[in-house]
Amino acid sequence: MIQEVVWSISIVLMGILAALFIWVAVGADAALVNYGPVIASAYRLRTWLFGLAVIILIAANYDTIGKLPYVSSLPAMPAGAAIQPVEVVAEQWDWSIKPNAFHVGQTAEFRVTSKDVNHGFALYDPEMHIVAQVQAMPGYTNVLRYTFNEPGVFHVLCLEYCGVAHHQMNTEIKVTAQ
Amino acid sequence: MTIQAVQTRGGISARAAVLAYVVVCGLVLLLMMVFGLLMRLTQAQWIDIQPDLFYVIMTMHGAGMVGIAGLCGATVMWYFVRRHVPVTTGIFVANLVFFLIGALLILGSGFIGGFGAAWTFLFPLPAHSGDLWSANAAAAYMFGLLFIGVGFLLLHLDIARGILSVYGGLGAALGVKQAFGLAPESEGPPPAVAASTMALIVNILGILLGAAVLVITLVNLYVPSFAFNALAAKNMIFFFGHVFINATIYMAVIAVYEILPVYTHRAWKTNQAFYLAWVLSTVFVLIVYPHHLLMDFAMPTWALVLGQVVSWLSGLPVLLVTAFGALTNVYRSGIKWNTAAGLVFVGAAGWAIGVIPAIADGTIEVNSFMHNTQWVPGHFHTYLLLGTIAMFLGFLTHITPRSNNAWAPTGFWLYVVGGSIFVLAFLTAGAASVPRRYAVHLPSWLPYDRVGSIGAALVVVGVLILVVRFLVSVTSAAPEEAGA
Ligand code: HEM
Ligand SMILES: [Cu+2]
Ligand SMILES: [Cu+2]
Repeated sequence: MIQEVVWSISIVLMGILAALFIWVAVGADAALVNYGPVIASAYRLRTWLFGLAVIILIAANYDTIGKLPYVSSLPAMPAGAAIQPVEVVAEQWDWSIKPNAFHVGQTAEFRVTSKDVNHGFALYDPEMHIVAQVQAMPGYTNVLRYTFNEPGVFHVLCLEYCGVAHHQMNTEIKVTAQ
Repeated sequence: MTIQAVQTRGGISARAAVLAYVVVCGLVLLLMMVFGLLMRLTQAQWIDIQPDLFYVIMTMHGAGMVGIAGLCGATVMWYFVRRHVPVTTGIFVANLVFFLIGALLILGSGFIGGFGAAWTFLFPLPAHSGDLWSANAAAAYMFGLLFIGVGFLLLHLDIARGILSVYGGLGAALGVKQAFGLAPESEGPPPAVAASTMALIVNILGILLGAAVLVITLVNLYVPSFAFNALAAKNMIFFFGHVFINATIYMAVIAVYEILPVYTHRAWKTNQAFYLAWVLSTVFVLIVYPHHLLMDFAMPTWALVLGQVVSWLSGLPVLLVTAFGALTNVYRSGIKWNTAAGLVFVGAAGWAIGVIPAIADGTIEVNSFMHNTQWVPGHFHTYLLLGTIAMFLGFLTHITPRSNNAWAPTGFWLYVVGGSIFVLAFLTAGAASVPRRYAVHLPSWLPYDRVGSIGAALVVVGVLILVVRFLVSVTSAAPEEAGA
């Protein structure tokens, strides 16, 4: 699950940074050294860190920008693969999703819009983890593709604050084994 | 370095004005934190607040905290920048008055009028309340924000006037020539001037766009047939919101540059990297906001890719200049730690550490899974609560050394430990797909909410100690010894 990976990497990096600050803070009054040499070696270190950061930056962006969720950026579907169009209309505080039953392996193309305010169409798998999302905005139809890969009851939750019943704006999608 | 420095330079009124700001900031911060704690306790199902009231509190907490973070930043900025350029105390006070009027309007819109469209008033939600609030209540909120915006506009313009009178141009005051190696580093502006220049450039633009979308929203409230493109409105709101909240950090960070050296006895070196960082940050802050719209597939893809790449780039100046600078400044400096130095140091750390989850969420591939989950409050509370506000509390403790006493370390530790628990609970919940802005949580989400509530309660007690110590030391000290 991508969430777990991102959480782990973030916690490790945040922990390293925190440890660095703690280490410097704890050692600060131990042994006094002159500022000049500290600055000089710090600048050398910073040059290396800058180089490292640039490499990470380029690699990470190169990798992730290859995987955009936007339909115009998706790889073409294999010939003959059927895409099931799904009309999704959000309205305070209900979802209309037609059709709302699929089978494993089916690719749904959600065409998401709203009749009133902004809502957020978030698809949760049966274990209640987000697997895809897109905004539902009045005046626009946002297209989101998702291929169901497990059977069970998926949930759609509203993920854009839309007023007092925002947290109740959810519905179900049933996915059957093929 | 202390209040006396203000006093000797501008007479009693400037000192009084700074103290008035700090008192307002301290009290509003506490109130808003209590609101935050109430939300967490509700989500944890330890107390019972109905959704309509929850969302009013959420709106008040969001608007109140963003506004007060701006006021905290403005206090720090004004206190230090006036050592270098002439500024008008009357304008500084006017900003506080505008803020208080705005705050009253906003509190009234929420607690009397029931307004609860979130602080981001995403168009056209203010006009679609489902009968929970009236057009007048929504209008009171919009006018409240406008008042606060006008106050800040005046303040930034006054500082701009002062800066121009000394430096001749905004580029010179930002150190643009130094940034590109075209002028000697030693002739560059002091950090407080560079930071104030950056803040005024971005905030003036942000406030103008914010004002425009506020007016559009106001018209739409009373003339529903007046239609405006929802995507354009969202762009304007997030440009304004992103710029304003980020400017709070860029103003407050002056406390790190100015206060840490007092205790380490090492000057904060400004060099080419420093100026380059500030020039780049100015540009980045203005163009990075599309990372709030990554799930708006109707946006041009290039803008969203720009949002991602600039999100990553924005991390570099923070990490490699400010965080690195703070570490170098402290490293084996022989500093004798006290609460003031500790808090500004934590502020630098909180800002740097908060960059990590922010960049993660600014990555489109990750945003598909984290957008509008509690990962978002997780990352921004890291660099607002443990960054901006820590810097401000360090400033508050620093200018009233008498508050830096026996109780202060207790406040400090409650704040730092509680704050860390609090933000980690949000981040972990976000990774578990818990949505943000939900008044009611599923049973399986409650453990995160409960751990977060405990952290939040510790923070509230910590800040209570720090602010009360400050108030006691200000009110008990005879004016002439307040800076002793
Ligand atoms: C004791 C300290 C604090 C507590 C307990 C607290 C708690 C909360 C909670 C529970 C939320 C809603 C989370 C959700 O969406 O589910 C929230 C949102 C927010 N908080 Fe805080 N917070 C604290 C400090 C701060 C500070 C210091 C700032 C800024 C300087 C801040 C700014 C915000 C903003 C802008 C939001 C977004 C509101 C929205 O979603 O509309 N908070 N906070
Ligand atoms: Cu909704
Ligand atoms: Cu919603």
